[in-house]
Amino acid sequence: MTAATSAPVRHQPPHASRSVPLTAARLLRLELRRNPMPWILPLIAAAFWFDSYRPSTTQPPIWVLRTFWNMGQGHTIIDFGPFVAGVAAWAGSRDVRRGIADLVTVTARSRWAAQLASWAATAIWAVGGYLVFVAVMFGVYAHQGVQGSPPWWWVAVGAAAVTAFCAAGFAVGALFPSRFAAPLAAFGAFLVMAMSSRTGFSHTSGWALILPTNSNGNYQPPSGIFYPYLPDLPIARVMFLAGIAVAALGLIGLPAGAGGPWLRRTAAVVTLAGVVAAGTGVGLAGTARLGPHGMVIPALHDAASDRPIRYTPVCGQSAGVAVCLNPAYRQFLPDVTAALRPVLGEVAGLPGGPVRATQVAGAYSSGEGEVGAPMTISGRPPVLRMPLGSLNLPGAFGGSTAQFAQQLKLLSVHAFTGAGAGPGTPAQQAVQAALLQGAGVPFSAQNGVLSAVGLPSWASATLQPPASGHGAGPAEEDGPGPATGPVHAAARRLAALPPSARHAWLAAHLGALRSGQLTLAQLP
Amino acid sequence: MNVELTDLTRRFGRTTAVSGVTLEAGPGVFGLLGPNGAGKTSLLRMMATVIPPTSGRLRLLGRDPGSYAPRREVRRKLGYLPQSLGYYPGFTVADFVEYFALLKDMPPGRVPAAVAAAIEQVGLGDRARAKLRTLSGGMLRRAGIAQAIVNDPDLLLLDEPTAGLDPEQRVAFRGLLREFGQRATVIVSTHLVEDVGAACTEVALMEQGRIVFHGTPAELTARGEGSGAAGDAPLERGYSAVLAAARSVPAARA
Repeated sequence: MTAATSAPVRHQPPHASRSVPLTAARLLRLELRRNPMPWILPLIAAAFWFDSYRPSTTQPPIWVLRTFWNMGQGHTIIDFGPFVAGVAAWAGSRDVRRGIADLVTVTARSRWAAQLASWAATAIWAVGGYLVFVAVMFGVYAHQGVQGSPPWWWVAVGAAAVTAFCAAGFAVGALFPSRFAAPLAAFGAFLVMAMSSRTGFSHTSGWALILPTNSNGNYQPPSGIFYPYLPDLPIARVMFLAGIAVAALGLIGLPAGAGGPWLRRTAAVVTLAGVVAAGTGVGLAGTARLGPHGMVIPALHDAASDRPIRYTPVCGQSAGVAVCLNPAYRQFLPDVTAALRPVLGEVAGLPGGPVRATQVAGAYSSGEGEVGAPMTISGRPPVLRMPLGSLNLPGAFGGSTAQFAQQLKLLSVHAFTGAGAGPGTPAQQAVQAALLQGAGVPFSAQNGVLSAVGLPSWASATLQPPASGHGAGPAEEDGPGPATGPVHAAARRLAALPPSARHAWLAAHLGALRSGQLTLAQLP
Repeated sequence: MNVELTDLTRRFGRTTAVSGVTLEAGPGVFGLLGPNGAGKTSLLRMMATVIPPTSGRLRLLGRDPGSYAPRREVRRKLGYLPQSLGYYPGFTVADFVEYFALLKDMPPGRVPAAVAAAIEQVGLGDRARAKLRTLSGGMLRRAGIAQAIVNDPDLLLLDEPTAGLDPEQRVAFRGLLREFGQRATVIVSTHLVEDVGAACTEVALMEQGRIVFHGTPAELTARGEGSGAAGDAPLERGYSAVLAAARSVPAARA
């Protein structure tokens, strides 16, 4: 069958390849204008406010503490993830839901290119929203005078996580298009977050460190104050999350309708590259070990990250002894000097007694369950070295100024007796109890102080009943209550001495006490 | 020839939607008539490169769309309006047409003028900034036609383009078809016989996946003369007569 007329095919001028970026930019502009993500941002803002920002304001104004919850434990990611995945799936399933897949398919541009433009617009809105919310939160922190430095690497992890959720959600929508794709993707993202958090709490090492809401090892109290935030683990997580995003976007380009053979081969390579990047991230996280200042991944570690941050301490006086803190802890100087005053009053002038108290960065071991770091008296002349970051600061996790002061007194007295990282000998425990009584922590309250959360492990060990004849604890059972037993009896005798007599006895026996040679019977 | 179909067949499972169609078409307006389920839409979708044929040979604009590169070239010069037009409700008319202009690989510098011209041609100039969800069914159809013609296609495939249009719009649209037919191949699938009579230079009638008539509208009209077939208009009588004849010869379908 022949048409009525016949004419040569018209040929339009060849398409200039240099116009491809401009076309992509125009497509992106269109998609940005009509993207559904802005509609969900107010809801995310509400979740962010209630879940990420508000709980953080109960923490002391130090960056590492303020951001521990929202950045360290990944609550900003939890707030964004499910919403972003759901909206991205909605955008990804758009062509099929709207019955427009045929029209998009028969255009010269590959379907993959059109989908990538749509995804890019969704991701720009989502990541832009994330960065704006975090910027506003950090701005408020800065306005509130929060000390230290912000955890920028963890912001990057959050942005990468939002990008990954966006890509994964979009891929779900594009590959399984239906009206159920969005709720399924959102619910899936929520489940992933929940499992990530749950796994994160129980896995302090190994591959699970890659999970973006695993809170183990992310933050250390000296981070951003004494040492920079270590970028090792964040780099591995960004690699992992970016790999997921790239792999998901590559997957969209694999179906037959996505484009030509060359394009689909490219999509396969992109998918593979994403999987390799994500796998590399997991592998690197598996090699992580907890160093003195945070998680170290040997393959990524830069020694420059271990250089301490220079600072000029802020100092005060306590019983004639200079007490110096990192300026980030400036607001706690009055509390620290007040807490140390009675202790230093007891021990000042004694041979081996501290002539200066200074804050130091806590050093952390990789042992599970290890919290905090010991307070020590060392050097010539002796200096009381206080890792305050390991204590519950006033306001942190519900801690009060009184609790903070009591813990500070306990740790400084423990350091003075020379008990080191253990509970000490019965004599050392008795002297510790007596000095605490003198410093304003009555015997009846001492068990409560010893059982406080956040203290080194020797504190709870002190509460245990004696295993054999050598170590007799000051209490028969755990928990606060009237202290009894031989250790406490000796402590009461020492505490009952006049201050000058106690001072004289300590001056005479301090060496023996610290070396662990003194017995309970030798106490006055 | 812009369209060359040789023994083209398309099956969906056990159902044969298009069976051994052979057809050629150059510039002009080509009407594809037939009852519901005759295979018009499947044939149009193959010509639009939405679906590949199960067997047979298909050449569009001098190229074989079976391979990716030629298919892409064809698509660059193709305009297609599907039977059920989907749309993005949040897009404006201008966004919608611009979106497809960009996907059709038009040079970006030419896009704004081409979009404005296409929207004017379908009479939606005053609604260019209106969101698609606010438009009536007829206006949506016109927006769909605008996206089909925005790239000034060499091959324009329209599936039921006048569905939902009011009489005035249909008259205007036929004029647009004739104008396009001067320089491009326009294939219009419809069951509205009067559209064919008013705009088409050639017509084919499909029944059960086969072409049962191919000729000019005047020839189709002539088939109805003297027949007892029902139908008010002469063209409709021809249409009915051809269909009746096709159905009365089962062997022809075997």
